[in-house]
Amino acid sequence: MDARPVVEPLPHIRVESLTVAYERPHAAGKLIAVSDANLEIARGTFVTIVGPSGCGKSSLLLSIAGLLEPASGCVLVNGKRISGPGRDRAVVFQDFALMPWRSVIANVRFGLELQRLPGLTADDLTARARRYVELVGLTGFEHYHPHQLSGGMRQRVGIARALAVDPEILLMDEPFGSLDAQTRDQMGSELIAIWERNRKTALFVTHGIDEAIFLADQVVVMAANPGRITEIIPVDLPRPRSVNTMDSKRFIEYRQRIRGRLS
Amino acid sequence: MRLTYRTLISTLAVAAFLAVWELAPRIGAVDATFTSRPSRVLAAGLDIVATGGFLNDVSVSLAEFAIGFGLAIVIGVPLGLLLGRFPVLRHLLDPPIMAIYSTPHLALLPIIVVWLGIGMQSKIAVAFVGGVIPILVNAAAGVRGIERSWIVAARSFCANRWDVFVKVILPGSLPGVILGVRLGLSRAVLGVVVGEMYQSQAGLGNKVMRYGSEFRTDYLLFYVLLISLFSLAATTAVRTLEEKLWAAGK
Amino acid sequence: MGSWKMKPVALGLASFLIILLAWESVVRLGWINPFFISQPSAVAATLGRAARSGELGRNLAVSLREFAVGYGLSVILGILAGACAGRFRTVEYALDPFLWFLYSAPLIAFYPVFVLWFGLGVPTVIALAFLLSFPQIAASTLNGFRNVSPGLIRAARSFGATEKDLLWKVALPASVPMVIAGLRLGIGRALMGVVVGELFGSTAGLGYSISYYGGLLKTTDLIASLIVIVTLGVLCTQGLSALEARFDSWRVED
Repeated sequence: MDARPVVEPLPHIRVESLTVAYERPHAAGKLIAVSDANLEIARGTFVTIVGPSGCGKSSLLLSIAGLLEPASGCVLVNGKRISGPGRDRAVVFQDFALMPWRSVIANVRFGLELQRLPGLTADDLTARARRYVELVGLTGFEHYHPHQLSGGMRQRVGIARALAVDPEILLMDEPFGSLDAQTRDQMGSELIAIWERNRKTALFVTHGIDEAIFLADQVVVMAANPGRITEIIPVDLPRPRSVNTMDSKRFIEYRQRIRGRLS
Repeated sequence: MRLTYRTLISTLAVAAFLAVWELAPRIGAVDATFTSRPSRVLAAGLDIVATGGFLNDVSVSLAEFAIGFGLAIVIGVPLGLLLGRFPVLRHLLDPPIMAIYSTPHLALLPIIVVWLGIGMQSKIAVAFVGGVIPILVNAAAGVRGIERSWIVAARSFCANRWDVFVKVILPGSLPGVILGVRLGLSRAVLGVVVGEMYQSQAGLGNKVMRYGSEFRTDYLLFYVLLISLFSLAATTAVRTLEEKLWAAGK
Repeated sequence: MGSWKMKPVALGLASFLIILLAWESVVRLGWINPFFISQPSAVAATLGRAARSGELGRNLAVSLREFAVGYGLSVILGILAGACAGRFRTVEYALDPFLWFLYSAPLIAFYPVFVLWFGLGVPTVIALAFLLSFPQIAASTLNGFRNVSPGLIRAARSFGATEKDLLWKVALPASVPMVIAGLRLGIGRALMGVVVGELFGSTAGLGYSISYYGGLLKTTDLIASLIVIVTLGVLCTQGLSALEARFDSWRVED
């Protein structure tokens, strides 16, 4: 092993000829959601996946989360093949998936409770959850229940819940998909601000081209029937980014290129 | 695959139950006077069906059910639609209806017998009371469940009140009406049977009580299972209709 | 706005007043013989007398005790059976035909069998109350388990939840609203079991007293007991409805 020259650092996530298939509910045969996908994601980068509905972008993300069993191929994290969900990864879901019977702080604590980190008391968990509630700007709402919050606030809870377990990799499945356009832009800016502080490896699924470019170091473009990766585009825009970034000439070029790829 | 596993387990469970029921008295684990046995119930059934009085009991009970439940539908559906359409009427009648709905309707048996005697009329009345309330409540709920926008859309095409009623309200409330019919049905069957068990001269419930007092468990169980079968079959039929409607609605 | 909200309440109260007034008038005007429907003033007087003499309290106590035992057993065993069936597919499939039968068959017809098994009176009444409410509670609990949002289970799994975590931290709390709905529906059925059980054969209780006075054609006393039963049914159902409303707010998360 020592003899091998280190040319490139090990990719943080490596997807190797991954194929994901679903049982069809009322028909014979299987539905191919993702077909032979290959992808490498470097540590500390923000990668977005963009594509039309049915292109398998969520399936790809959920496979990396370990929530979907691939039909063939595999996912490696830090060079090790994953076999299910793990502490190194946390997911933010499109439908928020907050426990309706838990308050904001208890929802943020949820993931921490399940991870059973040794040596942490219940108070430690609550204290840590409180820090993340603060991080996403929900101080004062700790004891509200999800149904009392707006969509944007609910997803802040979802993000806090994922960040609270301090994962190496943050997986986000169209997290702003059910929010209105304005909230969406604002949440995007806040997310990027949080991310710039700790630079975790992030994978973000969306169908918004602008959102995909604005957030990303790398945009993965997918196509449907069957779901596959068609292009991987590095985004070379300076950080920190702001609303003005979207008006820059390079941003518009990226947008045209991706739109051309999608149509 | 899953469906067959499900059917397999369910069938096995029922078969095991029947086997235990048949064998336990045979090996002396329980007294057959109290539990009877499936084979004996079957034999009792054949005996009962062969006897002349059986058809008379069935027709009495069926007639009581048909008249009582028929009245419940004929009166309950239009009244429910009215209640759903006119809030003032609903607020006025809701409290007494809800009071009756949350009371065991069979508690009305004694007073109904005082009013109508121990003949068929009192059973018809109990079946009616049992059936009408769920039909009424769910028909009204069905009307209220109709989207305001459907009515506005119909009006935008110059529909008059009658058009709105026939083309929007009637079909729109149908799922609620059918649900009410299904819930009311089992209550009406119960009303007839328990009414006959309470005080009567004929009918299936009458026989249940008679064989009960004579400790003839096999005869008793045949009647009880027959009634249950009728109730299950009728409810299943309405449920199938309901599912078809829902499927058509989507 | 305030008057709008008061309207249903006012109309509801008005309807009870109208009923009482009409009832009293038709009798006073001699249109209907009080033998059949008695009259509110007489019923109220009888209720007052029964309350003072202790008869009402005795009957209420007997019925409530039977109800508490039968319904209590249903709650414990129903939730247990429903949770087991919700947790293990095989248990669900095995229980399904029996639950379905118990749920939809007119179980009161089994009354004479129960008398054979348990003896006339209190034990049979309890058995009826139990058997009528048990399938409802079990079925609702099972339904609650079955309808836990797959999204919540997926989220819990993404944080490394074990099967045990899924049961205690997701399935159980998520099914609470359905369980409570089952408890509410079960109350009506348990009450039905008590009343009918007492109607057929017992020596005390509210169901016994309506049957007893019915046999004597004492309409006023019969209606007085009936009103107590109605009140009991309404109070129980309203109480559980209020409890249900508390959990309803998080039942549907859009």
